Amino acid sequence: MTAQITAGVIALVLAGAILYMVRRDHLHGSYALWWLAVAAATLALGVFPPVIDWLGRLTGISYAPVLPIIVGIGMILMRMLKMDIDRSRRERQLRRLTQRLALLEQDLRELRAATQAAPRDDAPELPRAAGRR
Amino acid sequence: MPAFRRQPRLLAVIPARNEAGTVAEVIHGVRAAVGADVLVVSDASDDATAEQARQAGAVVIELPWRLGAWGATQTGMRYALRRGYRRVLTLDADGQHHPQELPALLAEQRRTRSNVVIGTCSERLSAAKRIAWRYFHLLTGIGVQDFTSGLRVYDRRAVRVLAGKAASLLDYQDLGVLMLLRKNGLSLHETPARMSPRRQGGSRVFSSWRMVMRYMLHTTVLCFAQFASSPRRRTPRAAPAALAP
Repeated sequence: MTAQITAGVIALVLAGAILYMVRRDHLHGSYALWWLAVAAATLALGVFPPVIDWLGRLTGISYAPVLPIIVGIGMILMRMLKMDIDRSRRERQLRRLTQRLALLEQDLRELRAATQAAPRDDAPELPRAAGRR
Repeated sequence: MPAFRRQPRLLAVIPARNEAGTVAEVIHGVRAAVGADVLVVSDASDDATAEQARQAGAVVIELPWRLGAWGATQTGMRYALRRGYRRVLTLDADGQHHPQELPALLAEQRRTRSNVVIGTCSERLSAAKRIAWRYFHLLTGIGVQDFTSGLRVYDRRAVRVLAGKAASLLDYQDLGVLMLLRKNGLSLHETPARMSPRRQGGSRVFSSWRMVMRYMLHTTVLCFAQFASSPRRRTPRAAPAALAP
């Protein structure tokens, strides 16, 4: 009985923390959905452990408690893979954005030099070049 | 130099990180040798590299933070593409590549009509590099000996490929670049060129055994990734007509 209370408390705390974070809008759309699903699954398995035994019988695994661990680790690995893919994509975007910024800065420098060389009345007032960095 | 004005426009891209001591000399050398426009991409240098380069008459693009040697070079590729340059030549800012070698390199590109020409210094190849070359040759079938050489000429097709997104996650101007070019059906050609030992700093890649191992592992993974993906030929074969000298 005590074991069930422990499991229930852990599940409640985890699900509560996730729900709180989603409510606080700390997570972006699809991530929030994923974590809500995790919270629901944790809560269901933690509060009703017989579900695990039932799943064990269903899948033919003799030692049922290992099932959520295996599934959990599998999902964590998948998640990590997805994270690294996202990070690579970000890295690519960041590098290209950095290059673009530097290229536009050069365009601006040339434009500024051109307008200063031939000042016209209708030329827009360009802000003075602030410190380089 | 009126003889060069009639040639398709050429841009010399010099990636530089803290090379204030040598960059001006290199710029003057390049202008004297081939009369090209010179672009220095300062990879977030902490010293006076950018000022020195501007004073020497180069266009200078300053990256706000470090992107690495290839990130800086690619910035130059993107600049060249935006401004309509027909050919890009790259060389290092530390003075190891002699500007006097450039006319021969450009002539070689014109003669062989290859998309990329790589200047190689065979005397300078260290034992580690030779072993690495054998290994990567086995792995990729790319026969370029000095695959880390920064002395190269690219035509517009090659520049277009290298300015693209697919090249943005590369770290060095080396095998990754060559594999990408080959995958896009571009031709590589290697030609000998004299080089002097680096005056300041050593090779970024072949500095220590740990770095070499890291590099080998990294590039092996890259080879695997390139090998596993099917070759794409996005650029139509008709393009060379516009590139003929």
